[in-house]
Amino acid sequence: MNKSFQGGVHLPEQKELSSGSPLRWFQTEGDMVYPLSQHIGKPARPVVKKGDSVLVGSCLAEADGFVSAPVFCGCSGTVKAIEKRRVISGALADCIIVENDGAFTMAEGVGEARDLSEISNSEIPDIVQRAGIVGLGGAGFPTHVKLRPKDPDSIRFIIANGAECEPYLTCNDRLMREYGDGIAAGLSLVLRLFPNAQGVIGIEDNKPEAIAAMQKAVAGEPRMSVMPLQTKYPQGGEHSLIRAVAGIDYPVAKLPADVGCIVENVGTLYAIWRAAAFREPLFSHCFTLTGDAVKTPGNYFVREGTSLQEIIDASGGLKEGVTLKKALAGGPMMGFAISDLSAPVQKTTNGLTLLCEDGSELALKKQTACLRCGRCTTVCPTGLLPELMADAAAKGDYDRYEKKLYGLECVSCGSCSYICPAKRPLTETFKAVKAEILARRRAAQEGGAK
Amino acid sequence: MSTVLNLSSGPHIRDRRSTPFLMYVVALALLPAAAVGVWVSGLRALWVILTSVITAVGTEFFYDKLMGKPDTWRDGSALVTGLLLAMTLSADTPLYAPILGSLFAILVVKCAFGGLGKNFINPALTGRCFLLISFPNAMTSYSVDGVTGATPLAQLAAGNVVNVTKMFLGTAGGVIGSCTVALLIGGLLLWALDIIHGQICFSILGGFVLFLGLFGGKGFDPGFLAAHLCGGGVMLAAFFMATDYVTSPVSRLGQTVYGLLIGVLGAIFRVFGTAADSFSYAVIIGNLFVPLIDTYIIPKPYAFRKGALAAQNGEVKPPLSRRVPKPVIALALITLVAGLALSGTYSLTKDAIEEQKRAANKAAYQAVCPDAETFTGLDDKVAKVSGDVYGSGFGRVTINEAVEGFDAAGNSVGYAISATSAEGYDGNITLYVGVAPDGSLRSISFTELHETPGKGMLCDEPAFKDQFSGKNVSAFKINAGSGDEKIDGVTGATVSSRAVVNAVNAALDFYQTHIKGVN
Repeated sequence: MNKSFQGGVHLPEQKELSSGSPLRWFQTEGDMVYPLSQHIGKPARPVVKKGDSVLVGSCLAEADGFVSAPVFCGCSGTVKAIEKRRVISGALADCIIVENDGAFTMAEGVGEARDLSEISNSEIPDIVQRAGIVGLGGAGFPTHVKLRPKDPDSIRFIIANGAECEPYLTCNDRLMREYGDGIAAGLSLVLRLFPNAQGVIGIEDNKPEAIAAMQKAVAGEPRMSVMPLQTKYPQGGEHSLIRAVAGIDYPVAKLPADVGCIVENVGTLYAIWRAAAFREPLFSHCFTLTGDAVKTPGNYFVREGTSLQEIIDASGGLKEGVTLKKALAGGPMMGFAISDLSAPVQKTTNGLTLLCEDGSELALKKQTACLRCGRCTTVCPTGLLPELMADAAAKGDYDRYEKKLYGLECVSCGSCSYICPAKRPLTETFKAVKAEILARRRAAQEGGAK
Repeated sequence: MSTVLNLSSGPHIRDRRSTPFLMYVVALALLPAAAVGVWVSGLRALWVILTSVITAVGTEFFYDKLMGKPDTWRDGSALVTGLLLAMTLSADTPLYAPILGSLFAILVVKCAFGGLGKNFINPALTGRCFLLISFPNAMTSYSVDGVTGATPLAQLAAGNVVNVTKMFLGTAGGVIGSCTVALLIGGLLLWALDIIHGQICFSILGGFVLFLGLFGGKGFDPGFLAAHLCGGGVMLAAFFMATDYVTSPVSRLGQTVYGLLIGVLGAIFRVFGTAADSFSYAVIIGNLFVPLIDTYIIPKPYAFRKGALAAQNGEVKPPLSRRVPKPVIALALITLVAGLALSGTYSLTKDAIEEQKRAANKAAYQAVCPDAETFTGLDDKVAKVSGDVYGSGFGRVTINEAVEGFDAAGNSVGYAISATSAEGYDGNITLYVGVAPDGSLRSISFTELHETPGKGMLCDEPAFKDQFSGKNVSAFKINAGSGDEKIDGVTGATVSSRAVVNAVNAALDFYQTHIKGVN
């Protein structure tokens, strides 16, 4: 039996919709929209103005501070405007709009091969930082920050996250199958920074081709290995992955680096390799268009800034006769429901899942009283008691929720809501309660400061 | 695109299994046991089951209608309650019992406390206990082949040997849901499908066996434990009653504690109390502890548990033996040693105890076998027929004991066989039959006879019982036949006389087929 974590759920995988489709470049034709905030941390600061000419790889906005990331252009053309546009989160956010001339002319130096042995170890985090690389698994945390922990010698595991546990999504699977050498090269660059670390590529065992490809890519590398993992959601979550690979359970208050681990998505490692070996900043990444409403699901390298609607239309649109109920940035478990498909692809958008059936809506209709069946407790990967948390939340007993039930340890993976036979909105409640408790805490701190 | 898209927080997909699905699977898992019940007890069992289920579902339906609540009768929980209640009833129960029981279970225990998910004790079991208190006679009479008698568990409590195979197969009598193997199959299926929590059922069985082994007086004697495990609804309680979601704790540790509590309570009631309904009460008491367990037993998340911090600090996990806390190992060892010691003592002293028992019974043996000095038990021969109604044509007679008598010189001088007829006018009639080596009957002697004074009690008078002495026949006939085989019944005590003759005939038959026939 392959390694895993405690709890978790077995989901209908739905990977077969798109797993057979090799990664192809998606050549954007329309205008590109670049939100300034595509990562965790401070939004980037624009360095272009309306009317400026830009090329593929031109910097549009620079990092504002340490925990921030620059934004690069993926097309050649002219800056049309800097204005508020609707983004994936549904908010109106500051964006740089670039009129795409369709030529994709490269900026000078971008794409120029570089010998990796010429790069010194200390340069690596700088290259990553300057390339605007953030966690492409979905969180969007600036990668260079992760590569500069307090004590690099204490890091024991660099975990390449190839679990791809979300149903439907297959772009990481394809990336590992087709570009395994690039991922391995990216991992080996990161390993150079951590002399005591082992590189482990964790892949769910429902992707045997990816496991084989990565095993081939790391063959003969003493510091790198592939670890097949049980196919179980949320295997690709940072906590679950560290539990499976390193055997460590750690609280949300700690960072992976505090327990000697650094987790990087395989897409991020690929981007690190592109940045180091080809002086290529992050302007594209792998992406899956999928869902039961799509006529032709597939995997693409998509340039950030491309409108989701353009990708749908170019792929052949929706199936005839179906009604699109829900559009998700990402997969159906932790993906974000989108209201406006004209929103652009961001660095962290690893897929678009279009569904004809909305599980949340059906759940609302079929909701019954809590049976106390305990399925939520069984599946919780954190070891929480969702039944009691929901009860405390309903009673407004936030003190018990936080201190006795450790409710803030919830990683919002959605397993409890998924499994609940009474169709109760557990994860949804926990997200709201967490936000409420943190807001109250901030308010109390500000009150105390006055 | 003009479609309006749904917006909500994740997850956006849901498991297909819903509350009704779980309930109907539980009902399906009960079907094998129900089917065996109907097969053993006939259509009467089916009527009890149908009445109970229809009343339960109907009550919920009308309650929802009357109170203007959303329809919940389709969710299968009332069906399961009705089915479970029926499983705890005898097929001979008058039909008002399942009706009243289901009404009470659904209306009072479930609906009055807020419906599904809100009841604090198991509705089906509470329904049963309600009936037990209200109609003690109707509820505690069980029959086999239409003959009323003690259940295997009652016999077990009385220290008799019972037929475990029959209890395992569910043909030993008792309630409709008494087929251990069918319940076990259904329960294990639910466990395998992750529908019930293994922590609950296995800690009940574990706690029960452990306590019985330590304090049951017979150590870990497999036959004794198996008989206890197969009898009196242990399986029904462990797999179907205690695992009821609503009335069991939510955490794995809490469920284990709860299960152990029920198992030990059940064993205490079996060993020190009246054996009847020990598990109904054990589960209900366990239910009452659930709020307490859920308040005080809240396991920490994995990251805060013992050992997690060490792992976070980069320490390598110690080997398993060092991770199991010492007290646990010590306790396990003590239990093991004590259990083994008890089992050992039991097997060592088993024969001595038997000898003592025989010495105590010597007077009874000698009453029918006067020239014998010492007696040897023929337990292996008795074990073949014990626990069951003996043969056919004797009514409800059981063979209790058989000994062979030897004179001072060591020669066999005859046998003493004890038989009980459950068909006395007023309860059991137990007697010893003395048989000479040539097969002729020496005399009979009563050890249990409480018939009507002046009528049935006259059976103990020489005028009646001496009629048997010295006869060598294969069977006696009451007020019929001719010569030696004819026995004149006591006037006005036909029932008592017939019971005595049946018991004697059974003892003679036992002698001829199991003692003489074998030698």
